[in-house]
Amino acid sequence: MLSPTQLQQVWSLSDEVLYGEAVVFIHQLVKREDCQPLPTSQVRGLLNIARTTQYTELERYIEHQRKRDWNVKNRYLKTFYTELEKLLNTMKNKRLGQEFQLLTDELTRIEMRREVNELMAQLAHEFIQHLVAENALLMTESMVGQRVRR
Amino acid sequence: MNDLPHFSEKNNLELSIIRQVSDEAEAFYPISVELGDHAAYALQRSHRSQLTGLENITECAFKTTDIFDYIKRQTARFDYWRKSFPSHSDEAFGLRLKNYLEYDLAKKRDKICASDRLNIGGESVRERQLRRRVYLLLIRQCIRQMTVQYEFRVSLVPEERRG
Repeated sequence: MLSPTQLQQVWSLSDEVLYGEAVVFIHQLVKREDCQPLPTSQVRGLLNIARTTQYTELERYIEHQRKRDWNVKNRYLKTFYTELEKLLNTMKNKRLGQEFQLLTDELTRIEMRREVNELMAQLAHEFIQHLVAENALLMTESMVGQRVRR
Repeated sequence: MNDLPHFSEKNNLELSIIRQVSDEAEAFYPISVELGDHAAYALQRSHRSQLTGLENITECAFKTTDIFDYIKRQTARFDYWRKSFPSHSDEAFGLRLKNYLEYDLAKKRDKICASDRLNIGGESVRERQLRRRVYLLLIRQCIRQMTVQYEFRVSLVPEERRG
């Protein structure tokens, strides 16, 4: 269970860091790497799994999606999940303790693992929620653009 | 409260925050009125529930980004959130509102929290929490003012044109 202070820190991080990074993340993927906004089915799946408290389940889901044999039309989804996995791994292995300073000192290895998983579940949920909201705007922008071109 | 030397008691700080936010809200009232007029034009009377939903989210949110995400989702979902306001603003209602809250009110938060006013830095957990609180209060004031103007504006539409 996260402490009230940790929860406050997560909320501050969500507002000050994760929101901006999620916006940049999805824009870079959609505009620079020739991807498209995520389709509704992917958004729904990702949001559902991000709402669970078990971070390991989210990790497994992202890995599974990354390894899937996507057809050519949906190959960009592989890029999306690859980049998302990289970003979350960096957050878990480096930023959580060093940059975010969220970890409690002097925990046993088991306690530490539990705390990392709880924090990552919260942070990943925040990040994905911001990403999905921005994705919705990009999706609408792209649909309206297509309609205008027709 | 050692990190906030200007205030010896929690109540003093709380009162100072409320006073500073109220002063700032007086200053941005004309903008809220413009946003309320834009809301009335875009959402009209029939989509009043959209603003009720926004008000609820705004009053309950712990994070400012929950409010921005909500506005983005509604803007993506409903075309009336994407209506511009001819002769007033070329921007879509939802994006105009989000941009105002996200950028302009963030500057007002920084102004209020500066050393010559509340002197709330951004280093400690407590200071960051206070800055978030100031920001949320500013957003709440703006949304309240905008909603009142929306109600006023849609109430002026004659009964027979309300459909």
